[in-house]
Amino acid sequence: MIAVLGLVVGVVVGLLVRPEVPAVVEPYLPIAVVAALDAVFGGLRAMLDGIFDDKVFVVSFLSNVVVAALIVFLGDKLGVGAQLSTGVVVVLGIRIFSNAAAIRRHVFRA
Amino acid sequence: MSSPLPPEEPKKPSGEGAESAQEPSSAEKSTRETTAKSAQAHAEQNADKSADASAEKKAEAGAEPGSEPDGDSGGTEERGAEEQLSGRRRLAQSLWPPKVTRAQLIVALLLFVLGLGLAIQVRSNSESSALRGARQEDLVRILDELDDRTQRLEDEKQRLDDQRTELENSSDQAEEARKQTIEKERQLGVLAGTVAAQGPGITLTVTDSTGAVEADMLLDAIQELRAAGAEAIQINDVRVVAGTYLEDAEGGVRVDGRKVTSPFRFKVIGKPQDLEPALNIPGGVVQTLEKEQATVAVAQAEKIVVDALRRANRPDYARSSS
Repeated sequence: MIAVLGLVVGVVVGLLVRPEVPAVVEPYLPIAVVAALDAVFGGLRAMLDGIFDDKVFVVSFLSNVVVAALIVFLGDKLGVGAQLSTGVVVVLGIRIFSNAAAIRRHVFRA
Repeated sequence: MSSPLPPEEPKKPSGEGAESAQEPSSAEKSTRETTAKSAQAHAEQNADKSADASAEKKAEAGAEPGSEPDGDSGGTEERGAEEQLSGRRRLAQSLWPPKVTRAQLIVALLLFVLGLGLAIQVRSNSESSALRGARQEDLVRILDELDDRTQRLEDEKQRLDDQRTELENSSDQAEEARKQTIEKERQLGVLAGTVAAQGPGITLTVTDSTGAVEADMLLDAIQELRAAGAEAIQINDVRVVAGTYLEDAEGGVRVDGRKVTSPFRFKVIGKPQDLEPALNIPGGVVQTLEKEQATVAVAQAEKIVVDALRRANRPDYARSSS
């Protein structure tokens, strides 16, 4: 419950306060958000499976974000930033979908 | 002893591992439930196996978030069924009575960060221009496209400017032609007597008390004036033009069918220094008229207004040949 509240508060604060994002991190924000979404879905599935561990969640969340941003950064440096970020989004999207399928089976049993 | 045993024996395999403390009926029931559910779970597993298996493989191959479950495919079918039962309950439990635990707080913090990023990204995507988040190569491409577009528009502007200049020139020419036409119309109107005219000239007044002045004398006067360069002439209130005719009439002269009586007042536009001597030459108009007992007065003026008009009649037969 607290976690859901955290998400809601984050969205509301983001919409109301309108913080300025430094130009350096700006290109990596969308990828980082998708990576974080992937981690969150993984965590939700783990919770439904009963093997949720907060330490693992924190590590996976942070490492997902950092690795995704790193890949995009590297891609930008190599000149294939657009293609690489597309690849990252595709991979993360597949993982999100598989996790969502597992969650669906838990919640709806179907 | 042996007779009660056989009924128990078949139970043993099915109730295998079942605690002896439990009554047989409940144990049997739970077992039956379990098997039914296991069959169901089995069917589900088969249905989702292909997608699930591939997804799982990918998940394990990639950078695995440690929170990724691993028990689903590896565990026994009974266990999967139990977890499906309890997963939902766990979700409800963790949702409703809100518990302030370390895990909840940490997850809340991370989700807060996620929500923040999500909101910022959505806002910057929807509010500011798409250029904000664009990467360098995209920006270069967009810039190139804009340059091309600018070039095309410049070309088009140049073309349209040329066109406009051309049109203005031609319309200027048309305007000039129209002005010239109007000017010509005025000049011709002065000759034809359809417009009033003004300018320097003379007035010639012939006062005839005896009725001796006849049409041919006035005609002589008109001819003399024309020969001296008169440009517009009117006698009393009749305009004299190319087609003007004079005839004698009772007590005066008929000019263009309109009767004109003494005093005959000529208004003539032309060069006064030419007109006056032309009338006064010896044996000329003035002397001839004076011989007929008429009084003649010639006066120069800086401004003579010839305002008697004739209607512009369209010729019935003559047509311009050009």
